[in-house]
Amino acid sequence: MFVDNRQNKRTVIFGFIRAEKTILRQISKLQIHGLSKEEVITRMAKSRTIDAILQRHVINDLLLAPALMPIGSSPKDLSADQPTMPLDPAIVDYVTERLQAGETHYVDVPGMPALRQVLAEHMQSAGLSGIEIANVLVTAGMQETRFLSIQTLGTLLGPVALPEVVHPGARKALGIRPLEATSPLPTDREAGFLPTIAGIRQALENGAKVLVLESPVRLTGAAYGAEAVAEIARLAVQHQAAVIWDQGMAPWVDGYRSIWHEPGMEEQAVVLGEAFPGIGLEPLYIGYVVSNPDWIKKISRDKQAISICTSTTDQLCATKAAELFPTLHEQQYQTLAPFHQQAVAALNGMTLAGDSVNVVAVGLSDIMAAPALRRSGFGFADGTDFGVRGVIRLSVTPDNAIADTLELLK
Amino acid sequence: MNTNQTKQAANAAFKKQEEGSALMYRLFDEAGQYKDIVPLGRGDPDFDTPSHAIEAARQTMLHHADEYSPPEGILALREAIAQRVKAHNGIDIDPATEVCVTNGGVEAIRLMNLTALNKGDGLLFPEPNYNSYRDSLRFARGLLQPVLCESEDDFRIRPERMETAITERTRAMLLISPGNPNANVVSPEDMEAMLDIAIRYDLLILADDIYDTFIFDDFVHATAAALPGGKERTLTLNAVSKAYAMTGWRVGWVVGPADLMARFKQLKQALSGGSSIVKQHAALAALTGPQDSSHMMTEVLTKRRQLVLDALDEMGLPYGIPQGGQFLFADVSGTGMKDVDLAFKLLHEGHVLTIPGSCFGAPNENYIRIAFLTSQENLQEGMRRFKVVLDEVRGNG
Repeated sequence: MFVDNRQNKRTVIFGFIRAEKTILRQISKLQIHGLSKEEVITRMAKSRTIDAILQRHVINDLLLAPALMPIGSSPKDLSADQPTMPLDPAIVDYVTERLQAGETHYVDVPGMPALRQVLAEHMQSAGLSGIEIANVLVTAGMQETRFLSIQTLGTLLGPVALPEVVHPGARKALGIRPLEATSPLPTDREAGFLPTIAGIRQALENGAKVLVLESPVRLTGAAYGAEAVAEIARLAVQHQAAVIWDQGMAPWVDGYRSIWHEPGMEEQAVVLGEAFPGIGLEPLYIGYVVSNPDWIKKISRDKQAISICTSTTDQLCATKAAELFPTLHEQQYQTLAPFHQQAVAALNGMTLAGDSVNVVAVGLSDIMAAPALRRSGFGFADGTDFGVRGVIRLSVTPDNAIADTLELLK
Repeated sequence: MNTNQTKQAANAAFKKQEEGSALMYRLFDEAGQYKDIVPLGRGDPDFDTPSHAIEAARQTMLHHADEYSPPEGILALREAIAQRVKAHNGIDIDPATEVCVTNGGVEAIRLMNLTALNKGDGLLFPEPNYNSYRDSLRFARGLLQPVLCESEDDFRIRPERMETAITERTRAMLLISPGNPNANVVSPEDMEAMLDIAIRYDLLILADDIYDTFIFDDFVHATAAALPGGKERTLTLNAVSKAYAMTGWRVGWVVGPADLMARFKQLKQALSGGSSIVKQHAALAALTGPQDSSHMMTEVLTKRRQLVLDALDEMGLPYGIPQGGQFLFADVSGTGMKDVDLAFKLLHEGHVLTIPGSCFGAPNENYIRIAFLTSQENLQEGMRRFKVVLDEVRGNG
């Protein structure tokens, strides 16, 4: 996997300079406190304990998987994997009223019951049958969702299989406390980097007990069709493996098929996503986990241990957003769909297979195109961070932003 | 004690702690059935979030809700945190590199443990202690090295006991001040001694200052990172939860030296990524706005603390003097009942929620934690019911 180390090297050099100035300040401070030269030396002696910590950190490849550039860090930022919009005033009024009424204290670990209820209802209306409040856990965003599901299930069940092309957050979640992992699942570029069925079968036969799959794929928006979903589920049941199924971008795919629909998956699937995406909750980081009640309890136990509960304010926003989601989402979808079509047509064969109307993935024949794009002030998701060079992902927006990007790419 | 025996003891301690956490949450659940419950259990201040913090949240939702936060938190909040730790604790911090915002104090605890400890690394662990530290130490696969603190000593963490507990596996020491559940405040002299130990044995210090707003009588709060040679090896945690009655907002932070904080931030990115922009602006307003609510809370808690101490004196129950924080740890060994049995009896017969010492690990089975985070009237009623139940236990009822 290619890693651009130039930024890292600059960081190290500036770090040294800053560290030296810090050391000089510390020495003078110690001397002001009346310490002798020998005492100063003892206190300033390099800590082997800290050295060991830093060295250990350097060798953890998974944890140091490159992170995506923060959204909004470029003047023309097309890097987000979810569209967003300003929060509806009805949400703001509702939340403010509840906060002023005193709803500012700890809440239930798995989430406020009202939010869990509306999430369950939303899942039901999306065709995921049998989901009730006991199947739902609220989290502080997708990364916490990845961390909880991968670490809990990986510890409980055994070797974890990640795709070779996957959101870097999945690698980081696995690396934060390294678990047993299999070789990466091979992916098919022609299919938008969906892991191949043959590769999944092989991983399960080799002992994988937890499959981590994105559908739609975060880099390209490609989603498995009904046949493939059924086959994956069948293989998981056959091998008694869990499937962690990131379907966060599902609302942007017409005719989406979730693995939850398949026989046996109510017991073996862990479905993840962002709560009510695209209508302004994105910077609040609210996610969900849906699974069988026993696993939800186990994941809740770990959730309690890392954060007690998710922020009341953010949960209140999501609870009210649920009422507005059907209308606002439909409007968003209908707005983005033609822009997605236009972008695919304009890119004239440069796009990779994708089913989500909110993103397009572009194959770059010139490896220097991505850095050049960044220098021109455009933000995008770099495929390098997902595990593949020469691919970028652009958010679809209802304006000329993609057209401007395309001009530069051409 | 050899390494295997140490591991076995640590594993046994962890198992007991899992049972303790489950017990605590069972008590919370069972308390929910009583409409007249007097809550002396949970560490959730019964005060309101400052109104200017709520207004800041509202303004953010209206005008800035499409701004994303980097994993380390928005710069304005980090700058405010740097000012706060300088003014309150005497710690000099560069907000660009030496602060990270977290989703509450408990996330900060998890990340501090992961930053400082590798599998098998030992953490000097004053007992009794808050169960989240055990949870996080277990996740980090670290080794719990208990250091006993006693109520006769007001649960003072004795530096000589910390030093005696050091083994070849020890990598860090944990200093929570004021402590939970023991309410001990580490004196400036003891803090100097702890730092001296840390330097001589090349240990890190994991410092938790979350209750530093609430210091009683003439006790003085000290923090290792403010002392010469301390900052380089100390990670210090705090949050807006207790000082500003913002438990539900989930905003905390850790400050520390840049090299360790770089690792901390990587771990934060892996665990939860960025934090909500709305709650960060609310926390910013709490830190930089009027501090009246925080001062008022301290005055009120001081009175409530005295009410509880007077009631315990009347009941003849000894306790470690609560030097800071929002709880006290009362010795119930003289009642003839185990702490768990007494806690359940208080709950189901008196409708008073307390937390048995067993929830905080062994050997705390003789204690009960009492929080003074409810109104004066409620506290009086709660302590009255406590006495009624106790009189019955003692055969005086």
